[in-house]
Amino acid sequence: MNDLISQLLSSPDASLPSPTEVASKVQLNSKGRLKHFLTTEGLSKELLTEILDTADSFISTQERSVKKVPLLRGQTVVNLFFENSTRTRSTFELAAKRLSADILNLDIARSATSKGETLMDTLWNLQAMYSDMFVIRHADSGAAHIIAEKITPNVAIINAGDGRHAHPTQAMLDMLTIRRHKGTIEGQTVAIVGDILHSRVARSQIHALNTLGAKEVRLIGPGTLVPKTMEALSATDEKKGAQVYYDMKEGLKDVDVIIMLRLQKERMSDALLPSESEYFKLYGLTKEKLAYAKADAIVMHPGPINRGVEIDSEVADGEQSVILNQVSYGIAVRMAVMSMAMSGQKEEQAEQESE
Amino acid sequence: MKTEMNTTLIENAQIIDPSLNVNATQTVSIENGSLKFSESSKADNKIDGSGKILIPALIDLQAGIKNIQADSQAAKQAGIGYVCMTPNTSPVIDTPADVTLIEEKNNAVDGCKILPLGALTQGLKGEQLANMYSLQQAGCIALTNSKKPVKDLLVLRRLMEYAATHDILILINAQEETLAKGGLMHEGETATRLGLVGIPESAETIAVAQTLLLAEETNARLHFSQISCARSIDMIRKAKEKGLKISADVAIANLMFTDEHVTGYNSLFNLQPPLRSEKDRQALLAAVNNREIAICSNHMPSQAAAKTDTFAAAATGMNTLTSWFSLGLNLVDRGELTLENLVYASSTLPAEILRLPETSYQLKENTKPVMALIDLKGATQGLSSAITFNV
Repeated sequence: MNDLISQLLSSPDASLPSPTEVASKVQLNSKGRLKHFLTTEGLSKELLTEILDTADSFISTQERSVKKVPLLRGQTVVNLFFENSTRTRSTFELAAKRLSADILNLDIARSATSKGETLMDTLWNLQAMYSDMFVIRHADSGAAHIIAEKITPNVAIINAGDGRHAHPTQAMLDMLTIRRHKGTIEGQTVAIVGDILHSRVARSQIHALNTLGAKEVRLIGPGTLVPKTMEALSATDEKKGAQVYYDMKEGLKDVDVIIMLRLQKERMSDALLPSESEYFKLYGLTKEKLAYAKADAIVMHPGPINRGVEIDSEVADGEQSVILNQVSYGIAVRMAVMSMAMSGQKEEQAEQESE
Repeated sequence: MKTEMNTTLIENAQIIDPSLNVNATQTVSIENGSLKFSESSKADNKIDGSGKILIPALIDLQAGIKNIQADSQAAKQAGIGYVCMTPNTSPVIDTPADVTLIEEKNNAVDGCKILPLGALTQGLKGEQLANMYSLQQAGCIALTNSKKPVKDLLVLRRLMEYAATHDILILINAQEETLAKGGLMHEGETATRLGLVGIPESAETIAVAQTLLLAEETNARLHFSQISCARSIDMIRKAKEKGLKISADVAIANLMFTDEHVTGYNSLFNLQPPLRSEKDRQALLAAVNNREIAICSNHMPSQAAAKTDTFAAAATGMNTLTSWFSLGLNLVDRGELTLENLVYASSTLPAEILRLPETSYQLKENTKPVMALIDLKGATQGLSSAITFNV
């Protein structure tokens, strides 16, 4: 007889928690403070704003000649990248170092699991080395969630991207970018263009934008890459979480912010698209298409960009582009969530010990 | 197989036999396996039957069996008389010798009867027909390609023709692999939210539709294992109305849960077939209550460690070998199934589908049916609290 059955039989009528409750419960300690950072879903406006405010304060420390702050002194952060990434990993590494933590970089894709060790055993071994925080990138959706909930709940987990599900630090640096360039997220109309289906960034952005009070989130792309079911993401009874558009002219009309997504080459071989050229013709951001948006609209891209595939060089390097600013805010946002999650995690452990 | 050479008196048990339209509380005795609707004066043991049901023993139409002896013993203690064992073992059950070996192992212990399902194609590869007639003669009650659907429609058509020649029952898991490729759960809002690749309803309904068209051409006796979609039920119902020899079952998990349970990435719900929508679940419950489909465990054994992984990497399937009927009782408690219909779908209908002799499952006086006395309270607390007779 397994646990599930006894669990079910003891409370047969227990209603299912909502996705929001599930997402917030695993990330927050008993005082409602962040103890892991897994997804933007289910977090309050106050908490997301606190992340942005904290990040803002770190931007000013980054501009000094001595960039380090002692917030994570003596703590060990392990960068666990089960999937390759250069930029995200280096910004996490820099963020940890600027918080004065000791950092260990592990390229798991080429080590333990290739020898047949299970995910669970790899993590338990690292935990046994007194690690305080794992920064995890994994190709499977939900990896960070399962690790935080079931495998090593007492190590602060920062999700650096899980499959198609979430990339919350990228979404928060995008929110910071919008706030710093537009003053606020409230009331903004934001269009996300391209391969929404496979995008963890888009999912995290949709949740964050809705929570932070954006007026409207639009998703633009062909039906193969923009499922209608995305509209239900962070939807409320009154409002859809997003609106799907198949046409750039309609979708970009009067928007304040345009977020372009990277198009992977495999989309053609998976029969999702005919060709890069047809895609660029329909959805590539050119100067002409940019003109459909508001005159002061900003252009963003989580990178790395494919010039001439989803975005024209003229736009990527143009004056409405804030793509490089996004990169510099990345370190500050990661410092913010790392320091917040570490303190929430320590708070919970102190509480458990006193019990 | 052991026969209890003694007399058991069961006082005031609820006796349910849907095939005879019986649902009554009375005292019975079982004398050397023979059912008597009267009190016996010389009872060797006496059981208080209150809170217990006496029913035709449960029949599981499909379970993955890892250890024949331990599993058959555990199943018997849960009130199960017969378990149809999937052929996707190592080695695959595709020769008469494999069937004999299983029978020998099964006979060496006091467990339920294991009914080996033979492979439809050699090595389950979907290319060449297995020795279907020889497997039937060796004791396979039905043949199936298990969870590896036969992709080549010409092979599928021919094996149906061959099966029809010898009146062999075929079990089909309907799934069009190209549509299900990479899929981890039901396609829908939850899959989109979680970023898990969806398996569309059409992966099942297309396979059901094309199999039914072939059944019509070949007149094969066909059973769909673990259907999950409302539309599949509609198609199967229409085919039956046309007179085709079609039956179907649903996995207990698909009656209990929906795709929304996957929220939180609980790998317990990484299942094949996937958990579908609430609309599908309601249609499946209605089909059970209409006595159209049977219930099976769809038991797939896995270690807890194999389940502690990402949703995609975790082992597929749920351990339900001994608990599926208890879960069904949970649906009765919730008012979603009636007790009679649960018993019908778990005992009577599977017996009819497998064409077991009526004497083996009808609770008639002075016969020796395979029957089970199940403690309802114990069962819903997850205890093995059944006595199975005559197996």
